[in-house]
Amino acid sequence: MGDDLLTTLKILIIGESGVGKSSLMLRFTEDEFDSEQALTIGVDFKTKIINVDGVNVKLAIWDTAGQERFRTLTPSYYRDAQGAILVYDTTKKSTFQKLDSWLNELDIYGTRPNMAKMVVGNKIDQPNRQISRDDGFRFAKKHRTMFIETSAMTSEGVKDAFEEIVRKIIETDGLWERRNVDGNVDLNQKSAASYCQMCSLI
Amino acid sequence: MDMEEILNETCSANQLQKFEKQYNKELNDGYVYSKTQFEYGTGLVLSRYPADIKKGLVLLEDLMAKHPEGNRDYLYYLVIGNARIKNYLLATKFLNVFKEIEPANSQIKALEKVIRKKMDRDAMIGLAYTSGAALVLAGIIGGAMALVKK
Repeated sequence: MGDDLLTTLKILIIGESGVGKSSLMLRFTEDEFDSEQALTIGVDFKTKIINVDGVNVKLAIWDTAGQERFRTLTPSYYRDAQGAILVYDTTKKSTFQKLDSWLNELDIYGTRPNMAKMVVGNKIDQPNRQISRDDGFRFAKKHRTMFIETSAMTSEGVKDAFEEIVRKIIETDGLWERRNVDGNVDLNQKSAASYCQMCSLI
Repeated sequence: MDMEEILNETCSANQLQKFEKQYNKELNDGYVYSKTQFEYGTGLVLSRYPADIKKGLVLLEDLMAKHPEGNRDYLYYLVIGNARIKNYLLATKFLNVFKEIEPANSQIKALEKVIRKKMDRDAMIGLAYTSGAALVLAGIIGGAMALVKK
């Protein structure tokens, strides 16, 4: 499967503490859920190879700590990210109101101007909803980001969220490079090129 | 590779400079906030220079003694920092202290795996060196004996 990998993409997960960033990553990468998920220290990292529209893509997912004390440290990890998932908790208004400042962080510290962004309203399995689907959708439209609602607990929407952002990145010219797993230039392409040069020499 | 990425990731020189400036300012003013010391300490631990990392480890150990409420965070970066300068025994020591607080923490479990792998790799390299040296020595002795026999 690794042989025909199209590219490796770096995806960030950001948002307030306790909105379910680590749970989304855990559900997506391991298809697991831990109701007592520990608070993330600094940043966590996982990879997963997924098939989107017939091509294999390796995702390097950087799950950042939401706690205030890491706020100055985590932007170091924004470098070169091609996609960002901004998470809020649909049962906690304050986490939705903070989305503006998270978008701002991306503008300041992101290094790719055309980075793909997706707003994710998590915890829709919970009964005490404070932010409607419409509120979320309007916010995303206003800031020209993608939008989806999810539940890391029931896994609703989780796979779609990651697949959609990958599609968006792949569609965006200049946002990704054709590379192999180790981040080296694709050797197949290179050898194909030199092979053709040889043909013309002969 | 996976989690090994965490050990390779560095704090930018620019960011580290900001942390340092704030730390020195507070030091001159006579009181360093634990947040400032934590930021500077972790920034140093993520530096590409071993001397910085060692300095960061001192700052974090100092925080551990003064502000035990933040222990899980300090311990985590003490593990990272020691692992980054290949001080795996000390890294393992802090890792075990962390596990006493949170035995099921997935971040620390992943780190443990990386450190074990690195220790195994280093042991293999060490073995290769010593067995290589033994071969050379055997060659010299063998040669010397051949000369004596002549």
